[in-house]
Amino acid sequence: MTFDWSVVWQHRDALAGGTATTFLLTFATMAIAVPCGLLVAALRLNGPAPVRAIATAYVELFRNLPLILVVYWAYYVLPILTGLGLPALATGLAALSLNVTAYNSETFRAGINSIRRGQVEAAMALGMSRAQALRRVVAPQALRRITPVLASTWVSLFKDTSLVSVIAVTELAYVSMQIRAQTFRVLEMLTAMAAIYWLLGYPQAKLVDWIQRRYAVTE
Amino acid sequence: MSNASDLSLTRVKAGGSTIIRYMEVVKRYGDFTALSGVSLDVYAGEVVCLIGPSGSGKSTLLRCTNGLETIDGGDIEFEGSRLARDERGLRAMRQRMGMVFQNFELFPHLTAEQNVAEGPRTVQRSGTAEARRRALAMLDKVGLADKAASFPSALSGGQQQRVAIARALAMEPDVMLFDEPTSALDPETIGEVLGVMKALADEGMTMVVVTHEMSFARRVGDWVAVFDAGRIVEEGPPAQIFDRPATARTRDFLSHLGWNG
Repeated sequence: MTFDWSVVWQHRDALAGGTATTFLLTFATMAIAVPCGLLVAALRLNGPAPVRAIATAYVELFRNLPLILVVYWAYYVLPILTGLGLPALATGLAALSLNVTAYNSETFRAGINSIRRGQVEAAMALGMSRAQALRRVVAPQALRRITPVLASTWVSLFKDTSLVSVIAVTELAYVSMQIRAQTFRVLEMLTAMAAIYWLLGYPQAKLVDWIQRRYAVTE
Repeated sequence: MSNASDLSLTRVKAGGSTIIRYMEVVKRYGDFTALSGVSLDVYAGEVVCLIGPSGSGKSTLLRCTNGLETIDGGDIEFEGSRLARDERGLRAMRQRMGMVFQNFELFPHLTAEQNVAEGPRTVQRSGTAEARRRALAMLDKVGLADKAASFPSALSGGQQQRVAIARALAMEPDVMLFDEPTSALDPETIGEVLGVMKALADEGMTMVVVTHEMSFARRVGDWVAVFDAGRIVEEGPPAQIFDRPATARTRDFLSHLGWNG
């Protein structure tokens, strides 16, 4: 059996393009899922009962469905429901965002709930409004607890973006599989793909470890 | 009744203006009645100590004073006007009442100085420089000027509670509410907190203190109210409560604590 690693170098532009799309998906998903997650968490914590119920149902639905199913669902069902034919990239982004928003909202909710009631009372006893107490006392503390969790979600998301390859979004996994199919260089392409994901993912994971130490809460 | 010892049985500061007036205050939690019609006056410059067994309603009354708990009946007057029921009015009143909690409740993400400056800065919008100046002055007052840059996690319980007192004082309140300020402390740091409170009382600060420190109530208190099962069973000057308790309830409570005059 002979290996031909030159196939990787020959397709470097395509692989670089796929890698760029992977990063784009990760950034864009988080850019959507952080504010949306915050909104869903706020609705679950403070919304009127029916809104709370809807927000809870959303979170429990998307947290407990396999992401790949959501990706397929967004690809086949969303256009029928909305009448919109979205490009594959936007569809993939929608699926990832639905999933990660659900996770992030739970992260935010847990972070806010983890702050003792006495902290809000101390703020209010000084004469702060609820909004001021949230902004000056609860949010800064919650953020410290939330940041490491969001960082872990980021690292998972970076790898999970590969799932949107099933709907032909040209990110790293899809591009690698395409090259594999065209050149029949299975081992080389899978190895190259693994190497790229690992080399990019490992520093991010290390960064998360550092963030978790940096923001460790001492009381 | 004209001999000198009876002077200790009068309410010395009753001539001043009434700062807080509790009138038949009722508070319920579901089926449980925490306060069943409590009436009590707090005069300017007085140290009023609320004592009694756990769960007798003392802390609840204190928390009703600044609206952390809403009342279900009766009324509370603060400086001559009815305690506000709306957020806005309540916030204005809270700025004139300092509160100190059993568990300190310092903001762990802020230094001692930032904790004390937070009220002036965020609530009174006094400007960063003025808030800082006031924070350092208050920390100095509680003997912790050298801990200004420390985070609460680096302070002992007693130090944290003194910072919490400084934080409340920075708002320049008319009355200070203390909710079991030494109950969460190690015995060796209780003294420093009581010392700060005593100094505050000597300056003429009006104080309502929920406490299990009977010697503090005896020495520093001007007036003592004994709670039992959501009522005040007896009130009077410390000399009466501790030396000549009028009710069996008070005697029981004090003897359980091993108090023998």
